Amino acid sequence: MRINLSFAAVSLGILLAATASVQAHHSFSATYDGNKPITLRGTVTKIGWQNPHAHIYVDVKNADGKAVTWEVESAGPTALLKAGLRKEDFVGAEIIIKGFLAKDGTPTVNASSLTLVEAKKEFLTDEKTP
Amino acid sequence: MKRLMIVLSMALALGGQTVALAQARPDFSGTWRLNVGKSGPNVAGNTPNIPFPSQIAVKQTPTDISVESTSVRQQPVSAVYKLDGSKVTVQTPEGISETGEAKLDGGNLLINSRRSFSSPAGDIVVEFKEVWSLTGNVLTIQKTRTQSGESTTEKSQAVYDKL
Repeated sequence: MRINLSFAAVSLGILLAATASVQAHHSFSATYDGNKPITLRGTVTKIGWQNPHAHIYVDVKNADGKAVTWEVESAGPTALLKAGLRKEDFVGAEIIIKGFLAKDGTPTVNASSLTLVEAKKEFLTDEKTP
Repeated sequence: MKRLMIVLSMALALGGQTVALAQARPDFSGTWRLNVGKSGPNVAGNTPNIPFPSQIAVKQTPTDISVESTSVRQQPVSAVYKLDGSKVTVQTPEGISETGEAKLDGGNLLINSRRSFSSPAGDIVVEFKEVWSLTGNVLTIQKTRTQSGESTTEKSQAVYDKL
């Protein structure tokens, strides 16, 4: 189903599991805390577009208004491209990340889903994509 | 003949009550292992949406239910819930606070909990709602998760086999 992204927030359920078996070189459980789910909303400032994982850097404002830069481990470029996302779609975009905190307490998360609030272009998705 | 009918009717009625009581008091006791193949997507592995424990040990009495959840390379979480629905403190890894309450609802066990922890984004509060149901030696858990300040709720379902 073709949808116009300029009229709606586009939720991209990045099903990392589909690529994890091929791309993962470390396990979720070793690095991230499954007991600490977190949702972040901020602006993408930089993206590391490399395998096995893209790394998205997001400025998120705290309650006191101070911005903290978060590193978000996401799917690799192949999976993102399959979802219709190019590298240039990210920087400057407002994004919602759902994921899990790193065990080491740094502002790092593993993303289980990404939502681009205002996408810059149209792309094909389907109704099953959350 | 009439007497026989009365006796049969009473027996059926008592039998029905027994069935109803059995349904109202399911026993979740046992050790349960996550069946990833029968569970919903992303309940475990490298990209969990709502991660479920890989194993759950449960001990149930008429008044309370003890639940210990373990996962590979993750700190265990355990609690002894009172089945009257009163609030208890959940034993969590350092840096996490959690309270919860449980009660039986027909054939289901309902567990609601609130977890809080600090993060570089500030203090995070997450609410979980779980519905447990039994079918033979299969335990199904439906879980929803809502983070304070967020309008969306994550939902997932996991299936466990009794060991």
